[in-house]
Amino acid sequence: MFSGWNWVAYGLCLLLNFCSLEVSGGLVQSCGHIIPESPVLALGSNFTALCILNESCLDFGNIYANQIIWKIKNKVVPKEQYREINRTVSSVTFNDTSSLATPLTCNILADGQIEQNIYGIAVTIGLPPEKPKNLSCIVHQVSKLIYPMTCTWNPGRHTFLDTHFRLKYRWPQDEFPDCIPKDVNNSCTITDVQFFVNLEVWVEAANALGKAESDRLVLDPIEIVKPLPPHNLSVNSGILPTVLKLSWENLISGAVMKLKFNIRYRTTGDTNWIQVPPEDTASPRTSFSVQGLRPYTEYVFSIRCMKEDGVGYWSDWSEEKTGVTTEDKPSKGPPIWRIIDASDSPASWTVRLMWKTLEPFEANGIILRYEVTVRAKSSLSSPAEKYNVNTTNLTLKLPNGTYEVTVIARNRVGASPPSVLLIPASNSKAPVKNVRTLPKDGKLWVGWTAPNSYVLKYVIEWCLVSNSSDCIIEWQNEPGNVQGTYLRGDIKPFKCYLITVYPLYADGQGSGQSVKAYLQQDRPSKGPTVQTKKVGKAEAVLTWNHLTVDEQNGFIRSYTILYKTVDGNETAVTVDPSKTEYTLSSLTSDTLYTVRMMAYTDEGGRSGPDFTFTTQKFGKGEIEAIVVPVCLAFLLIVLLGVLFCFNKRDLIKKHIWPIVPDPSKSNIAQWSPQVPAKHNFSSKDQMYPEGSFTDVSVVEIEADDKKSFSEQDLKPFDLLKKEKSTSEGHSSGIGGSSCMSSPRQSVSDSDEGESTQNTSSTVQYSTVVLNGYRDQTPVQVFSRSESTQPLLDSEERSEDHTGGGDGTTPRQQYFKQSGGQDETNTDRPCFERTRQITPTNEGDLVGFAQLQISGHSSQLFGLGLEKNIQEAALPDVLQTSIEGQTVRPETVAGNPPSADEMPKSYLPQTVRQGGYMPQ
Amino acid sequence: MAAADSPSAALQRRDLCSRGIRLAGKMRSDVIDLLDTYVERQGLDASASVVTVEGVPVAAVERWDEQTGTQRLLENLAAYRAFRVLLAQMLEEHREQLGDADTALGRALAAVLLQVSAFAYHLEELLRLESRGPPSEEGTAPPPVPHLGLFERKLRGLGVLRELAQWAVRSARDLRQLTKPSLGSSSAPSWAESP
Repeated sequence: MFSGWNWVAYGLCLLLNFCSLEVSGGLVQSCGHIIPESPVLALGSNFTALCILNESCLDFGNIYANQIIWKIKNKVVPKEQYREINRTVSSVTFNDTSSLATPLTCNILADGQIEQNIYGIAVTIGLPPEKPKNLSCIVHQVSKLIYPMTCTWNPGRHTFLDTHFRLKYRWPQDEFPDCIPKDVNNSCTITDVQFFVNLEVWVEAANALGKAESDRLVLDPIEIVKPLPPHNLSVNSGILPTVLKLSWENLISGAVMKLKFNIRYRTTGDTNWIQVPPEDTASPRTSFSVQGLRPYTEYVFSIRCMKEDGVGYWSDWSEEKTGVTTEDKPSKGPPIWRIIDASDSPASWTVRLMWKTLEPFEANGIILRYEVTVRAKSSLSSPAEKYNVNTTNLTLKLPNGTYEVTVIARNRVGASPPSVLLIPASNSKAPVKNVRTLPKDGKLWVGWTAPNSYVLKYVIEWCLVSNSSDCIIEWQNEPGNVQGTYLRGDIKPFKCYLITVYPLYADGQGSGQSVKAYLQQDRPSKGPTVQTKKVGKAEAVLTWNHLTVDEQNGFIRSYTILYKTVDGNETAVTVDPSKTEYTLSSLTSDTLYTVRMMAYTDEGGRSGPDFTFTTQKFGKGEIEAIVVPVCLAFLLIVLLGVLFCFNKRDLIKKHIWPIVPDPSKSNIAQWSPQVPAKHNFSSKDQMYPEGSFTDVSVVEIEADDKKSFSEQDLKPFDLLKKEKSTSEGHSSGIGGSSCMSSPRQSVSDSDEGESTQNTSSTVQYSTVVLNGYRDQTPVQVFSRSESTQPLLDSEERSEDHTGGGDGTTPRQQYFKQSGGQDETNTDRPCFERTRQITPTNEGDLVGFAQLQISGHSSQLFGLGLEKNIQEAALPDVLQTSIEGQTVRPETVAGNPPSADEMPKSYLPQTVRQGGYMPQ
Repeated sequence: MAAADSPSAALQRRDLCSRGIRLAGKMRSDVIDLLDTYVERQGLDASASVVTVEGVPVAAVERWDEQTGTQRLLENLAAYRAFRVLLAQMLEEHREQLGDADTALGRALAAVLLQVSAFAYHLEELLRLESRGPPSEEGTAPPPVPHLGLFERKLRGLGVLRELAQWAVRSARDLRQLTKPSLGSSSAPSWAESP
């Protein structure tokens, strides 16, 4: 509609704005027009328009039909579609109106090629209406007397035009006003219809391009009625506990139609409806008694109706009404079971009798109390004990034996049949076998294999196994002909249940068979905490505790130990779930390992905390295996060394402690009779008591009496010795050598020669002074005596005085100390220190003091010596005690030198390496 | 006659009779309801006694069981054509009096009027099946309604409705009588006897 007016307005606008070549008197006068004016065209049809020019314009403007140009929306229509009918009329033809658009204008090309608009029209294109299809009607009852009829149809395709629909209806002899749809084009409602007269109904659709009618329906409106549902439904309990009586009112008169009904009902809380058999309610009525209901149960009812012959529609369901049946006596006794505690005393039981509350459909009312009867089967004479209980359990202390327990539930109407439980003295009958479980449909199914004997019924006990709570037993009864059932209870997932099946026989019961089960398993909530029990070099013993049942969340199928070094790959070891200890082997020694442990159920595993340990560097007994052989080898070497030394002691002694001839034992010494007289050691003995020296230099002088060689015999040796001594540098080959002296300073291989030399007529003396004394510059002095005189104290002294050419004859002192007690001088190794003090500026050697003393006493001893030297009262001969165990130092002083020759002071010194004492 | 004897004609006749009976029943029910409404809205007493209204056909008849089928149909048709006129007058008067204010009563009157028309159509069709054809309405037009006062018009309307209710009962019985097989043949000679 809007689009049509739009086109018309547009066309008017064109007429006002164009089409004028001449303006006179203020009015626009058109030079032509188009035929047809504002056509409505069917889509796809052909169309021809004519543009007719006014004769007046021909003369005035010299315009003719051959100058006409047709345009569609400012787009020039191809010339092929033009046709010049005469000098004032031009036509344009369109074979398909779908190419048309608004406006279609007639224009003229005037002089100067100026295009002028003559006229324009608006073209409306659409479709004629289709025949309405699928007409159907229904009479909705809205009140007792009002029955509007609504008809619907399919209006067909969109016509792009303003199309009007009308629902027409009539009796054969009467016409009724049309029903005109409001806001829609596919339905209309006739407010009131009359029944029992055939009504002819049809739909008419019309627009600018045509008109169409639907097929005609002839119907009696009574046959298409959807009545209102019965109302005021009421439910009354009847005399019987299984019957409820329904009453209602029908909103449609029986004169209009006879009704049939549907009645449905359900228990409160249930969602499934039960329908009363339709044939029971197929006749007109206003009440009905529903039978076969459960006592003391609340029911919900609803009802609907339709025409009795089934022609028409069912009404909606009525509002729901509830009713409760009356009570009846309980239909069965309560299921009963017991828990026997025999721990208190061996002669009696604590029997806890338990029974379940009856289901509402079994209780048939409110259970007021339970009547329990306990009868001892063993003694028929004893009367039965009766108890009235309001709860569902009863604990009794009974002597051991067989009992029959009976429980009766009682409500206001009556008592239930009795439930009987036989409690035998022992569960001696055959048990069930192969108890198994299976989670199914969110419930836990328990199955078993029945024993061969006839079983009255089964009792299935179960409880939730938990660390945090006790095992609270739940149970249920199953008939004896089944071998499996679902547990009826709140079975939680991830929880462990201990399920036990007992078979009950007419004359006893079998022992229970148990199984653990989960409704649903999950990963463990934590992993085991692993730690080391013992760590070795290449192995470690791991221990852990089992997860608690609350942590398991399922059956632990295996443990996996995962261990790795810091930079190594992780190694996994699967361990049987029954174990709590495992030894890791083939580990690397002295290595840090990280170990963790996973526990697996069927649903997966979870890891415990990491634990680190370090393997040991050495294995068990490895240290002992190394140390013991080494010690043994060392001891063996030492032993061999000792044995070697013992065997070669003479040789060793000869090399280490060369035999130094003892001058005192020389033949000459023995020859000199006054020497022993000169020695008075008594004072020395007192001064240096025996054993006061810890480190003693011993000069061993071997007195070889046997070796009395002639002077000629010794000479060749003497010469050889001389050469050797010279070649030894500042060591003397003729003097004694110190055990501590270096080989360079001692001539060990000349011992024999020395001995020979000592006994020879020619005695060579040599002195080597290595170090200076105090601020004296040490000067190596080697002096040799070529004397062949026997070595006598007096001679030596006189020789000292006369030997030096410059008058500064060095004085020699000889000290001999002995540290041993039982050793003879000849056999005992000696420690010998020699020092030759060469006079420096003064050139005077006042004296020698050669001591080998302990450190702490050396000073004192030295002072003593100095004192003795200063007193110069001691004999100036060196006296060696042969028999005594101690060699006492003697201050040897020759004739007292002059005051300027005497050393100003003298401190005894320990003999240093390299020192040399002339002999 | 030939048409009446054909199976389809018999079936159609039976159907017309059946639905006519039910229509009569509904009409009676609606008229009873309408009577209550009418009495209430017009301020009348339900126990008011109404004398015979002129121009209103009377349902009571003597020797009803001796009537032929055509007689029954013709009497019924004449009565309902009269009621159609009377009810149309009542509806017109009601609209003049109350306008569109009391739509319930007006709608109920219109509904009853429609049912009366429908029942007359049923009777005409039955007569047509009897090869008798309905008589012209021109000769059966009710006498012109005398000028009455408002209360008289109300009482007259009450009388019309009560008589219509009676006629509904009688019409149902008449149609049942027509559906009885024995009457099908017995009614045939009656056509000849009927005027």
